[in-house]
Amino acid sequence: MMLNFRLMLPYWGVGVFPLLAPASFAASPADYEKDIRPILEKHCFACHGPDKQKNDIRFDTMSTDMINDRPAAETWHDTLDVLNFDEMPPEDEPRLSDDERRKLIGWLNYEIEAVVKATKSTGGRPVVRRLNRIEYQNTMTDLLGIKTGYANNLPPEGLSEDGFKNNGASLQMSAMQLEYYLEAARMAMSKAIVSGKKPEVFRHVIEESNGTAGNKSQRGRDYSNTLSRTSFFLGKIEEDYHEYGEFLVRIRARADLKEGQGYPRMEVALGYRVDTLMPERIIDEVEVTSERIQTYEFRGRIEDYPLPSRVQSKFPGLLIRVTNVYDDGSPMPKQETVVLEPAVGKKKAKTVKVWPEEPHLPEIEVESVEFAGPVFDSWPPKHHSDILFPSEQRETDQRGYAAQVLKRFMHRAFRRPVEEAEVEPYLALFDQVQGTVPSFEEAIREPLAMVLISPGFLYLVEPGAEEKRPLDDWEIASRLSYFLWGTMPDESLLTAAEKGQLHRKGEIKRIVSKMLNDERSWNFVDQFVDQWLDVGAVDRVAVNPEFYPDWNDELKPSIHKETKHFFAEVLNERMSALNFLDSDFAMVNRPMAMHYGLNESPRGMKFERVSLPETSERGGLLTQASVLLGHSTGEDSHPVLRAVWLRERLLDDPPANPPPNVPGLDAENPNFAKLSVREQLKIHREQASCNDCHRSIDPWGIAMEGFGADGLARTEITRRDPEKRGKMVTQPVVTEATLPGGAKLNGMDGLKTYLLEEKKEQFARALVSKLMTYALGRSMEITDEAMIDELTTDFISYDFQLHRLVQEVASSSAFLTK
Amino acid sequence: MNKPWYLDRRTFLRGTGVTLSLPFLECMSVNASVAQRPKRFCAVYFPYGVSMSSKDENAKWRWFPEGEGANYQFNESLKPLDPLRDNLTVLGGLSHPNGRTIGGHDTADIWLTGAMLKGAQMTNTISLDQIAAEHIGNETRFRSITLSNTGGVGEVTRSSTLSYTRSGQPIPAINQPRLVYNRLFGVEKGSKEEQRSQLTNSRSMLDLVLDHSKSVRGKLGRRDQEKFDEYLASVRQIEERVERSEQWLDIPKPSVNAIGLHLDADDSTPEELMKTMYDLMFLAFQTDSTRFATYQLDNMNGATSIAGKFPQLLGFGKSSHSLAHGGNKPAGAEALGKWDQFRAKQFSYFLKRLRDTQEGEGNLLDHTIVMYGSSNSNTHNNKNYPTILAGGDKMGFKHGQYLRYNEDTPFANVHRTILNRLEVPVDAFADSNGELQEIVA
Repeated sequence: MMLNFRLMLPYWGVGVFPLLAPASFAASPADYEKDIRPILEKHCFACHGPDKQKNDIRFDTMSTDMINDRPAAETWHDTLDVLNFDEMPPEDEPRLSDDERRKLIGWLNYEIEAVVKATKSTGGRPVVRRLNRIEYQNTMTDLLGIKTGYANNLPPEGLSEDGFKNNGASLQMSAMQLEYYLEAARMAMSKAIVSGKKPEVFRHVIEESNGTAGNKSQRGRDYSNTLSRTSFFLGKIEEDYHEYGEFLVRIRARADLKEGQGYPRMEVALGYRVDTLMPERIIDEVEVTSERIQTYEFRGRIEDYPLPSRVQSKFPGLLIRVTNVYDDGSPMPKQETVVLEPAVGKKKAKTVKVWPEEPHLPEIEVESVEFAGPVFDSWPPKHHSDILFPSEQRETDQRGYAAQVLKRFMHRAFRRPVEEAEVEPYLALFDQVQGTVPSFEEAIREPLAMVLISPGFLYLVEPGAEEKRPLDDWEIASRLSYFLWGTMPDESLLTAAEKGQLHRKGEIKRIVSKMLNDERSWNFVDQFVDQWLDVGAVDRVAVNPEFYPDWNDELKPSIHKETKHFFAEVLNERMSALNFLDSDFAMVNRPMAMHYGLNESPRGMKFERVSLPETSERGGLLTQASVLLGHSTGEDSHPVLRAVWLRERLLDDPPANPPPNVPGLDAENPNFAKLSVREQLKIHREQASCNDCHRSIDPWGIAMEGFGADGLARTEITRRDPEKRGKMVTQPVVTEATLPGGAKLNGMDGLKTYLLEEKKEQFARALVSKLMTYALGRSMEITDEAMIDELTTDFISYDFQLHRLVQEVASSSAFLTK
Repeated sequence: MNKPWYLDRRTFLRGTGVTLSLPFLECMSVNASVAQRPKRFCAVYFPYGVSMSSKDENAKWRWFPEGEGANYQFNESLKPLDPLRDNLTVLGGLSHPNGRTIGGHDTADIWLTGAMLKGAQMTNTISLDQIAAEHIGNETRFRSITLSNTGGVGEVTRSSTLSYTRSGQPIPAINQPRLVYNRLFGVEKGSKEEQRSQLTNSRSMLDLVLDHSKSVRGKLGRRDQEKFDEYLASVRQIEERVERSEQWLDIPKPSVNAIGLHLDADDSTPEELMKTMYDLMFLAFQTDSTRFATYQLDNMNGATSIAGKFPQLLGFGKSSHSLAHGGNKPAGAEALGKWDQFRAKQFSYFLKRLRDTQEGEGNLLDHTIVMYGSSNSNTHNNKNYPTILAGGDKMGFKHGQYLRYNEDTPFANVHRTILNRLEVPVDAFADSNGELQEIVA
């Protein structure tokens, strides 16, 4: 049960990672002539030597230069496998001693990894890379000034070995991918370039909830202007609404706040009614924090929402749903039956079911809901005239105008100046299309779409020479922008490039600071934290309610955000990165503070900095639910997964993968299931082949055993009773562990103290290496060692200040070189 | 173009629910030559192997049946397939020789290719479905469809697709039922003239992009060029697809009854997701939209596999990887066996749907070869692939047996047998050294 830590390791082949060796490029653990050959001579040469060559394998003359002798490397690789499988030496021959075995496997692992690294090396240079899904979505949005789902249909992307999503070598292109790019490009252009007269704008103000939905979607709630757990607002617009273009929902509302409760949360959705159902899509959610009437605006493109049929619908019209989704977790009340006075002339009394009041919960009072569309700033809209700029040339010389339009658009799309000749193929398409469609607008859409499937747009193209070369200003602008904003450079960055300002190192640091102040830097926080710390692991674990009856899956999005806001706080407040190892504060919103049981809590969904009492075990990354839940089984902690996570992500020291055909934790012992995890792991470590790795893995995870899968502190562990089906048993938590060097890790506090006292330099180096990997979009190689060391030494010297590190990375020579 | 009979059949499908109009269609296809019935192939893969505890008390949860030859009995794991035993063969003992040389979790990539992953990029070779599609996939709107529950291509040795092109490039798998549905049956926007002119424009656009891109390539460094060739190859392939779409423009897509399809199923509703994927493959075959499909239920990468938690969500207790690892433990064999059984139940639903749907004088299944299995026997073991070969009864298969092989028979012999039954003119496949005579009628 415990051994499946491969689960999270991007993994390359059998045993290609060095045994116990750190991921940094240590010297070979053994000298072949002195340490290895004698072992082979003793155990192997008799059958695979000068006299006999069983299976055509002969060790005494086999090359050990695996990088240059690939057939030899393959044979050594096979040798590693048979050792791992315990197939050799044969059963009737003397066994390898544990020490011989460890030496031999250690040496093979190291040498084979060197081969792997050599063959995969990109020569310390990034490979031309395409935009990943998120960068593509952001870039399209910024380039065109229209928010819509451009990347919805693109296939999901895999991760690189080191867990990153922007690695040039891992990002692939395929016909299907390109097909969807083309579809998205055309869809984008049909939105960006409008044609025809200024459309009529429809505007409706609904003052009282006037719609009805099917029972299923209503979920038993009443219609009302007062939004509670039992009532919601449903606005209906029967006709006179647009079906293409931007819409605006403007809601005037106020909160009715309650002592000790959070802010009510207003969720707005758009859809329509089909019989008992309401197909809809949520536009957004906001907190209503003021008891005075405020105006809230929601925008979207109506074609992205489910729309009713104009001709066949039994319940025609748009529906706008406004719901208060705040829930304090208290049980839902039961409806009460009320007997009404019989109506005049009727004998029978009518009964109705009504919800009891819930005076303890905050409510929202809706004054009005306005719906308008299509909305635009001017006609034609700005996103149109940004591309089809006003010019007299349009009337006099359409082709010349088309060339200018394309050139300007290509400049922004390719993120660099464009030569006249480059416009030619695009203009050629314009010529072909022009005669076949009625308007200039329609003709220009096709070559503009073509720009969006060109390599200049889809890839970060950096022309290369055999020698490394410094980047030009335009390339620097793109690298900075995709590093810190996850999108294309904006006007000011392009202007700086044009003026040649990006060559100067001091200037880059200033610009980085400015970029980090911009809200787009959330893309960096979001993406880097996600990939460095694998926050998404939370979504791959299903929490079992049998073990955690109080668990609520709606917490998961907040769990993601906690870790990101924590990183952002350290970054923006120019704090030390050692806060990741331990901190005297937490970044929480109300649900997270309630979950953790903190004394102090923000009132709403916004993440705020909360001080932790000195006695609190919380603080730093290790006690965050993203780590604790993400590396659990959903029923219990998973000490091996947690340990591997810590070593891989925080120390850049991933343990070797288990060799093939390793046994699981020993199940022969009938009492095994009754043992504590610590005892189970101990039994496991009694096997020499397992102990080699596990003695340096398990302690890290055992120290975290004081926290369950839900991220909360615990004193006992709940397990299924191995003897009585359906029953649970508990075991005490034990968190004392000893690392191979003898260092004691005593629980979470002990672990954090140890990291801060003994491992902070290694942590610093790991963070530098991860940040460089993300910034450069490639894996770190042996040739990067010196640079990483230098950056790390500096990083330590300026007190691990994260903000400064980002500046230094962006002005490093590796970042500024192709 | 010499129009085959089934094109006319398509035209009849316009505006009608296929399911409703079948009796009428049957008359037509009976009149057409039975010999011309389409030959199809479909592959369904799951990772991490199956329950195969050696302990007697767990014997009933062993995936492989008891007995051998025609007189074998299913254990619990495959019981749901019992009603179909005349239509399938269980194969044991097979594996790819190349797969035996790589890591336990590395073999999903080569299940359909049999390749030795080569070079720095660990390049694969063409998969079985793609060879068939290349040779005999021309008569349908889509040469093939590639599905998986995780979607995309994943990473090498942990791929989330089963299909590879001739150059060994992974083909991204679709994991959203609605996207599959839209491709196969969705209504194209615009009038036919608009669609035609858009296709013409696409063709010109791709030509021009290709020319332009070649000049971009010239400016790149050597390694960049190698990477960039993926883009050029993609442009060429989509050009070919555009041509294909032009040919199919006058033939409307078949309309199918979408009731009961959970098109918005995703990783939070695994049972509906898998059922719908099976339904879509069935509909794709029934409407002859394609004849080749692959579907990967889960991949072997905990770091990206969103399907790993499916058994947890469905009440089987642990993630798919943990279930597999627990297979040798006292309660683990049963837990894994039940998960095996659940998968078999879904698979059986798919086979039954094919078998219960008439086509010509027979049914869809007798002209559809379905391969189902894994490239691990248990967790890290790359030998003795659990394999079921079903259908294709009228394409020369002899079913109803449980056959055991030893390592002298490469798994690719199964692939070769399938290709031969599909009448794909190839002499060999990967490292195959012959056909599986025992299953050929």
